[in-house]
Amino acid sequence: MRVIMLGAHPDDSEYYAGGTAVKWAASGVDVQIIAISGGDAGHQSEGGGALARRRAEESVRSANVLGVSWRTLDFHDGGVIPSLEVREAVIRAIRDWRADIVISHRPNDYHPDHRYAGMVMQDAAYLVAVPNICPDTPRLEKNPVFMYFLDEFQRPYPFRADVAVDVGDVMKTKYDALHQMDSQMYEWLPWMDGRIDEVPDDDEGRRKWLETYMEPDFLRWTDNHRDALAGRYGDSQAAGAKFSESFELCEYGHQPSRDQLWEMFPR
Amino acid sequence: MRNRLTVRLSIILALALMLAVPVFIAAQTVYKDGKAPEWTGEELRVIMIGAHPDDAEVKVAGTAALWAMAGAKVQFVSVTNGDAGHQSEGGGALARRRAAECQRSAEILGISWRTLGFHDGELEPTLAARKAVIRAIREWQADIVITHRPNDYHPDHRYTGMIVQDAAYMAAVPNICPETPRVKTNPVFMYCRDGFQKPNPLTVDVAVDVDRVMDKKWGSIDAMESQMYEWLPWIANIADPVPSDKAGRMQWLKKWRGPGMRSWTRQGKQTLIERYGKAHAEKIEYAEIFELCEYGRQPSREELWQLFPK
Repeated sequence: MRVIMLGAHPDDSEYYAGGTAVKWAASGVDVQIIAISGGDAGHQSEGGGALARRRAEESVRSANVLGVSWRTLDFHDGGVIPSLEVREAVIRAIRDWRADIVISHRPNDYHPDHRYAGMVMQDAAYLVAVPNICPDTPRLEKNPVFMYFLDEFQRPYPFRADVAVDVGDVMKTKYDALHQMDSQMYEWLPWMDGRIDEVPDDDEGRRKWLETYMEPDFLRWTDNHRDALAGRYGDSQAAGAKFSESFELCEYGHQPSRDQLWEMFPR
Repeated sequence: MRNRLTVRLSIILALALMLAVPVFIAAQTVYKDGKAPEWTGEELRVIMIGAHPDDAEVKVAGTAALWAMAGAKVQFVSVTNGDAGHQSEGGGALARRRAAECQRSAEILGISWRTLGFHDGELEPTLAARKAVIRAIREWQADIVITHRPNDYHPDHRYTGMIVQDAAYMAAVPNICPETPRVKTNPVFMYCRDGFQKPNPLTVDVAVDVDRVMDKKWGSIDAMESQMYEWLPWIANIADPVPSDKAGRMQWLKKWRGPGMRSWTRQGKQTLIERYGKAHAEKIEYAEIFELCEYGRQPSREELWQLFPK
């Protein structure tokens, strides 16, 4: 099986689905993480090509930790729009990877790049199988399964966890992968959050701090979707689960049964 | 050489003035009704980004007048210049006429006005439009941004709503439009009233009793002569002829637009009761209502109600 994750920026797929990626990779699934933008605006004092190169290096290190492949489509950060140019780049990426599962943001997440990445993924569904679209790249013979990453927005309707993956046993690897993204985890994100003063200077201290910084989000994701975990893992494992990642099935691609969908995702 | 030196000196002088101006404005802050605003005592800055010259006035003029009276700084922005909104006029001449109407209207309300100058009926959610909106929000250093929901009736309204949503968060990112200083916190983003039901109806998070400033609101709308007495009755096939005298027109305007605006009070009834108490809420004739957008800063309900005039 082959999986492609279409994050808007270098760090989105790792943050929302890094644990699931590790588990898939460990079971022999070929996973590729795509950053639609190169992330060239995501810093308080750096920017442009130099920042994009720095983030590409971080992402490749992170992908090595996860055991997955990585590339960027190199659109400008803050400039992802649902144009035909972006759509065709995404169609070619999905085809090049011969993906069975495609994952991106919902079109109502907080960042415009996330919203438009989600729209572009939706727009690529079905068309990846149409031979006259991007005729230079062989079409997929089957429309893949399209999925959304988790988010917490309510309008026009809240995220629905169609699949939940208990990632408690691979959290160390997920944190290790995020730890490679210095420019984000220890510079840009805490700066935007007004917490830059908390970040330790040494590598070991930072790795420890990263968990305290990220853990509240990850715990909340699990609390919010414990029912979905219970469906797949049973009540007792779900009750004790700390860390999970959840995904919603998009209506526009191949529609597997619930059993088939659960079978496709790692446990 | 001499000329070049003069230019340099002028630039230095201009820079010195630019630096001095904010200090001057801060020193001039006077609360018009003699008391500090309820929120925190700091000066609140509000920007209402409408699609056309008249949208902000119709939707939120009463709340804007109350804010202005309490010392808040309010700016109405029209993303388009309104150059298609007439049956017999158009283009630059109409845009200039409407800008003059909006300036008069803004004076009545005690607020500032500007347009971003996009063509009426042609607005698309492009990066160029998004950047113009980001710059407008930053230049006003807005704490609160108000706009249309992205499911209102006119494409320019819908795309204005999308563009403003897309400016949320990005307004605080320094590498976006790097030549214009970012806002340090993501503002609170709000939607103004509409009656559409899909994909979901407006949630009334804030409702404001505007009865005591309705004279100002009617005056601000009455100033839009090209719209209220020419274009809108023409496109709506209003049979009742528009009077030619000023007093007759105002009466005609209230008779025509009053019932629609009073329906907002019914739409926001529950929130009005919660914010003002049942006895007060029952007596409100005109209210303006707002929904909190999920993409900006998320204040508690108590803080949100503090930020809005009462």
